[in-house]
Amino acid sequence: MTTINDVAITVARLTVAYGTNVVLHDVNAAFATATITGIIGPNGAGKSTLLKAMLRLVPPITGRVVFFGRPLDEVRQQVGYIPQTSAVDWDYPATVYDVVRMGTYRKLGLLRRTRADDRTAIAQAMEDTGIADLAGRPIGQLSGGQRQRTFLARTLAARPDVLIMDEPFQGIDAASQHAIIELLRSLRDRGKTIIIVHHDLLTVGAICDEVLILGAEKMVSGTVHAVLTAENIRRAYGLDDDVTFLPGVPS
Amino acid sequence: MSFVIGVLGLAIMTALACTLPGTFLVLRRQAMLVDAISHAILPGIVAGYFFTHDLSSPLLIVGAAAAGLAVVSGSEVLRRSGLITGDAPQGLVFPALFSLGIILISAEFTDIHLDTHTVLVGDLNLAAFDQLTIAGVSFGPQYLYVMAGLALINAAFLAVCYRPLTTQSFDDEFARSAGLRGGMVSALFMLLTAITVTTAFYAAGAVLTLALIIVPPATALLISRRVPRFIVWSLAVAVGGAAGGFAVSYLFDAPTSAGMAVFYAAIFAVVFIVRELVNRPKRAPRAQRAETHTDSPAI
Repeated sequence: MTTINDVAITVARLTVAYGTNVVLHDVNAAFATATITGIIGPNGAGKSTLLKAMLRLVPPITGRVVFFGRPLDEVRQQVGYIPQTSAVDWDYPATVYDVVRMGTYRKLGLLRRTRADDRTAIAQAMEDTGIADLAGRPIGQLSGGQRQRTFLARTLAARPDVLIMDEPFQGIDAASQHAIIELLRSLRDRGKTIIIVHHDLLTVGAICDEVLILGAEKMVSGTVHAVLTAENIRRAYGLDDDVTFLPGVPS
Repeated sequence: MSFVIGVLGLAIMTALACTLPGTFLVLRRQAMLVDAISHAILPGIVAGYFFTHDLSSPLLIVGAAAAGLAVVSGSEVLRRSGLITGDAPQGLVFPALFSLGIILISAEFTDIHLDTHTVLVGDLNLAAFDQLTIAGVSFGPQYLYVMAGLALINAAFLAVCYRPLTTQSFDDEFARSAGLRGGMVSALFMLLTAITVTTAFYAAGAVLTLALIIVPPATALLISRRVPRFIVWSLAVAVGGAAGGFAVSYLFDAPTSAGMAVFYAAIFAVVFIVRELVNRPKRAPRAQRAETHTDSPAI
């Protein structure tokens, strides 16, 4: 896919089905280290399913996913997942701090005490995402953008090298979107590998370095410039030739 | 120990043992699983009786707990298949098991008093009848110590597995992606729940057991915004409700189980109404905010 960066994650011949409905068929992909890759495609193309299959949250029928040359179980600490914020019940009795702290639980195990180093990681994650002043707030009182920042902070508290995000810009305000994009860029510049499922074709070119289009037919991937073309998008979304795009989408 | 004090102690200890798993059942939105378990355990009890012909044999509890686990794991298998969603899997499993129990009773044991009354209502006073007597001194009902042991086990489990339990009940996908051994903790939790329901069932009956497990956490959830405080409030409501309910049934000479269940419901109703009154001015902005959250997806 790229020659500049090393490959962080390789997906080989991944096939996933729900019952008899094959959602992903024989998907091959490589995600480069220190890049932001956007996964786009029409509804039902299997964008979220691809993320979940990579993380073994849904069992693949066939295929292999390798992180830094190793299977997921050996590198779980390095891989952070950020689910859609709409997937949980925000009336749960917890504060922002309680949720962010969950990011350290894997490392701490069942009973080990939270140490200074862990508290630093929690504080840093909340600082980076701009929610330090919300630490004591019940999560039921958060706005959409604050929820997304809380989820991001929870994952950052584990200090992962890979961030896999499902629709991070869904239902959030422009200010939060801008802040999160800035943060993702700075994380990438520090060597983190970031994968986001994204549905807004107008902004994907500005946010991502590379793009992977899942569609009705063959999936395509590569740099934004090479792949995000009107022809590829028309084919993936099943659009007619006379559909035109707003400025911003390369033709 | 006087008999009345012994029954009161048994009531409180049963309430504590039930509320502990109840907290996370409510947080996991699986409260009605208790109802499914409490019905499904009937064939287990009948099978236990078939082998022992003794209504007070511990084998009955083993059989019942096994049947409880059958409903838990059976509905879990159906749910995982992805073909049936929500709590429909429970609805598929437990009526069949309950009915199997009814058929077994009517076919084999029509002559004995193993009917829906014994099964559903329970009787604290009967359960308290066997006293623990050491060197001629009574230390209260034996069953009090059974429930105390169970409460200790449940408390220890919650303390040790607090992190995976909270993470998983808030966001199961995240917990699994972080490899928090959620499956193992879940299985243990369900095993303890089945054992608790079955054990409490003998003292309190199905209806009161359901109330003991669900009402204190449901009440505490109305007034607490963090999990540790939520658990403390649940336990407080459990103790208060058990003592108050026992006192009411004692004063009015009513059945203890029924008196306690009604008293629990009354506590919940009072807390609910007070909370609604206190929160009323804040409601409007909250509803507005909720609307702005559900933005329609862009493009």
